[in-house]
Amino acid sequence: MMTKQEFFKELEEVLEVDAGSITGDELLKDLPEWDSLAVLSFIAMVNEKLDVNLSADRLAKAKNVGDLILLLGNKISG
Amino acid sequence: MILLINPMELMDRTILVTGASSGIGRETAILLSQLGARLILVGRNTEQLEKTMTLLDGNAHQIHAFDLSFVDDIPSWMKEIVGKTGKLYGLVHSAGIQFTSPLQITTGASLEELMRVNVTAALALAKAFRQKNVATTVSSIVYLSSVMGLVGQAGQSAYSASKGALIALTKSLALELSRQNIRVNCVAPAIVKTEMSKKILQALTLEQVTQIETMHPLGIGTPRDVAYAIAFLLADTARWITGTTLVVDGGYTAH
Repeated sequence: MMTKQEFFKELEEVLEVDAGSITGDELLKDLPEWDSLAVLSFIAMVNEKLDVNLSADRLAKAKNVGDLILLLGNKISG
Repeated sequence: MILLINPMELMDRTILVTGASSGIGRETAILLSQLGARLILVGRNTEQLEKTMTLLDGNAHQIHAFDLSFVDDIPSWMKEIVGKTGKLYGLVHSAGIQFTSPLQITTGASLEELMRVNVTAALALAKAFRQKNVATTVSSIVYLSSVMGLVGQAGQSAYSASKGALIALTKSLALELSRQNIRVNCVAPAIVKTEMSKKILQALTLEQVTQIETMHPLGIGTPRDVAYAIAFLLADTARWITGTTLVVDGGYTAH
């Protein structure tokens, strides 16, 4: 379980962008750091931190940061 | 009347296979038993080793579960086994760890564990095998490398490091152990249908998986494809082969 804010922080780490730069409204295609390696890192992160097994195919359906949060369901609070 | 010969037969030769609980290790043990060998099945999962046992031909086989990450214990453990099974003709190191890990998430700990099982244990097994009264007069070691030890892929640096290490150590070991008539060779498969590759492919999109399959001109391999290569290198068919890596990859590295 983690809060939305904690999730943004984890996402910023995966993308290796400045702290606070993810607001939650971003389209994934507008984030140049969201490449195939970032996808692998994201899958590893949610596996390790939230015990969620996300397949790359499900993840490919996400269009924006909000969709990423939806994919994690009740693991993200707030 | 033609009498078919089997130059790859391994009648009554005792062969230890690590990673025998699944995938390539399991299929190799099965094939070797069909060629007449006596198997020593090694892995951590006793239940799965017992399942492998039920799939073998013949009945002189033994299970010796062991966690290869305890590398310093490997030599004494192997001596114990030889006490129960008699001398070993062959050793196949099919146990291994794989993970896809971009550098940004690669940790020292995960890297060390990977290298420990894939590489350090490989050396420890050779160290154990070359001890007095362990191996038969002539004998053969086969390591499982990978095309990832020859070519690269983003996210595979740790795995590539470990598989490249096996290709290199095979050569030095071949030279060091030839005086004891121990041949040492490596097999380098591309993607083979096993639990390990299922895990790898699950982390990829359908598009990426299709692309990978297309890079194998002859399609994805089966465990038996690799087992045949291992048997070839173990048997008298490879009497004059040592220090080499046999690429079994459906054409993957031809690009």
